[in-house]
Amino acid sequence: MGLAYEFDWSVLWRQPYGIWLIKGLGLTIMIGIIAWVIALSLGIFVGTLRVTPYRGLRFLGTAYVEILRNIPLLVQLFFWFYAGPMIFGETISRQINQISGLNIYVAIVGLGLYTSSRVAEHVRAGFASIHRDQYQAVLSTGMNQAQMYCHVIIPYSLRLIIPPLTTEFLTIFKNTSVAMTIGVAELTFQSYRIDADTFHGLEATSGAMIVYLLLGLTVVRCMGLVEKKFKIPGLVGR
Amino acid sequence: MFDVVFRNFGFLMGGLWVTVKLSIFALVGGIFLGMLVGLARLSKKPWVYYPITGYVNFLRNVPLILVIFWFYFVMPILVGQAIDPFPSAVISFIVFEATYFGEIFRAGYQTISRDLINASYSTGLTYAQTARYISIPIAFRRMLPSLITQSIVTFQDTSLAFVIGLPELVRRASIVDNLEVRSIQLFGFAAMVYFIFCYVGSRSSRHFEEKSRKANIL
Amino acid sequence: MIEIKNVSKWFGDFQVLTEINETIDRGQTVVICGPSGSGKSTLLRCINGLEPYQKGEIIVDGTSLNDPKVNRYKLREKIGMVFQRFELYPHMTALQNVTLAPIKVRKWPKKKAEEKAMQLLERVGIPEKAHSHPANLSGGQQQRVAIARSLAMEPAYMMFDEPTSALDPEMIKEVLDVMIDLAKEGMTMLCVTHEMGFAREVADEIIFMDAGRIVERGTYEEFFNNPQTQRAKDFLSQILQ
Repeated sequence: MGLAYEFDWSVLWRQPYGIWLIKGLGLTIMIGIIAWVIALSLGIFVGTLRVTPYRGLRFLGTAYVEILRNIPLLVQLFFWFYAGPMIFGETISRQINQISGLNIYVAIVGLGLYTSSRVAEHVRAGFASIHRDQYQAVLSTGMNQAQMYCHVIIPYSLRLIIPPLTTEFLTIFKNTSVAMTIGVAELTFQSYRIDADTFHGLEATSGAMIVYLLLGLTVVRCMGLVEKKFKIPGLVGR
Repeated sequence: MFDVVFRNFGFLMGGLWVTVKLSIFALVGGIFLGMLVGLARLSKKPWVYYPITGYVNFLRNVPLILVIFWFYFVMPILVGQAIDPFPSAVISFIVFEATYFGEIFRAGYQTISRDLINASYSTGLTYAQTARYISIPIAFRRMLPSLITQSIVTFQDTSLAFVIGLPELVRRASIVDNLEVRSIQLFGFAAMVYFIFCYVGSRSSRHFEEKSRKANIL
Repeated sequence: MIEIKNVSKWFGDFQVLTEINETIDRGQTVVICGPSGSGKSTLLRCINGLEPYQKGEIIVDGTSLNDPKVNRYKLREKIGMVFQRFELYPHMTALQNVTLAPIKVRKWPKKKAEEKAMQLLERVGIPEKAHSHPANLSGGQQQRVAIARSLAMEPAYMMFDEPTSALDPEMIKEVLDVMIDLAKEGMTMLCVTHEMGFAREVADEIIFMDAGRIVERGTYEEFFNNPQTQRAKDFLSQILQ
């Protein structure tokens, strides 16, 4: 099978392509980390909302989760990026669209929101797996609901859900690639750009895959350290 | 207010049809390949287990968009000529989603206890008969909720074929948006369509799960 | 006749059966007892070919399991087995559980299989549950369906692996009654159980196993009133508490 294609792996390190990839990786990491912080804080909040005894709050939490997880991330990013500014009316939207790096901000917030809905689900599952008697034991020492959640339930369930949260953290880095559709020059975008320039997209994307793989391994290693540090003795671990 | 949607309704619905078509191909191929992958992951033969496990772990760490691009670049080289985005997307999705379906099947196969299979053998049923009448039907019923959830994820993932120019729903919405700049209505419409499909899908899956739990045939 | 000649079995490095020798004649009821981990269940599974063994020979009605050409499926039609956790097919009704093998293996027409199944369900005392799913049956009912399922293939031998250990006390009697009737009708039975009342009533021989070996054997009276080995004495004192 004579392939009429000459491989050129130097596109991965030749200038300026090497720099493109490195910059792309940097952007991927930055977006991922900031979005993760947003996702964690919002996700814990919304997940907690869903288990409060107030039906209105529970409904809000459920609506939040259902809307954000039944619409693809791509559609959400497009909506916030293109339609978002328009919500504020003609004049303000024009000003918003002038902001440089707008697409990066939108990507961070959009990705953070999307992931927060998934985190909220894990948080809710974590609460559910705590035996009901545990809640009653805490309340019987005199703490109120808010204190119970803050000081006992949330810290405990967070440790329980470290494995699924690790998966979400991994997923967030993969999902940064969707931001390329609104022009964010992250890693996947750069590999596509190399193809546009050199027609050696196969090598570029293969190289990018290896980078994502290494990134994923690093994340798993880090979260493994976190899990070890916060380990609850006696609980069956992985 | 939504008249931009109504005016371009045929065009947009054509995009939905492409989305649905791609999803169906991806699901059929992904589930079928996933069944094989799941079985392979349970194999005791190292020359089966390690390559398949490597493939699964590799693809689960890489973004889907990148996989879509990769196949889009690889296919013309293998086939010798330029290729349409649709077949390229189908292959990317089948290969990618099979890793997720494979894990679902692997977990499903493992819920069949050894003694249940032994009980079937001790009535004289063969390996093939046991698989056909006992193991597979039971495992399938147990896996159905996860299969449906993953199918909904696949349906959403098809939107990413946008990046190779596939004229599915989101791309068509953005084409119209480029002309008429009614982003709120257009992308809001796309969002609503996805929401309806996915919400209804996951609701019915939960309903089915509740029903079979009550009938106790899980 | 089932002949077990000098059978030994290892799981990796761990020897789970050591030089087991035993003969079971037609019509006999043999009870195997012993502490957990003594290899009793494993021995049963070697007899019907569910588990392989590395040394020795098992011969069932003249067919040796060592013969590479032996048809294990045909062998299993002859030997029925009842499991501790019943292992009914959860997605089928009691009737379907019983008729599956006769239809698929013996190629009986559905009507014949269902008639036979209803007879058997009556024999074990629960014909009215024919169309119920296992999840809607009590443990004792499930186990009786499991017995009917094994009997549907008209086996020459029946093996029971701790059939009442997973049952609530109130349900043990109903299952034991079925087993006692079976024994009295002349079925050749090999039972792993701790139910000594059952053994006293129908056992022709009791085998005591410990750590993979047959340590003692004898009739019920011999075993109970005059255990020879220390291990047997310890075991008896524990279960008679």
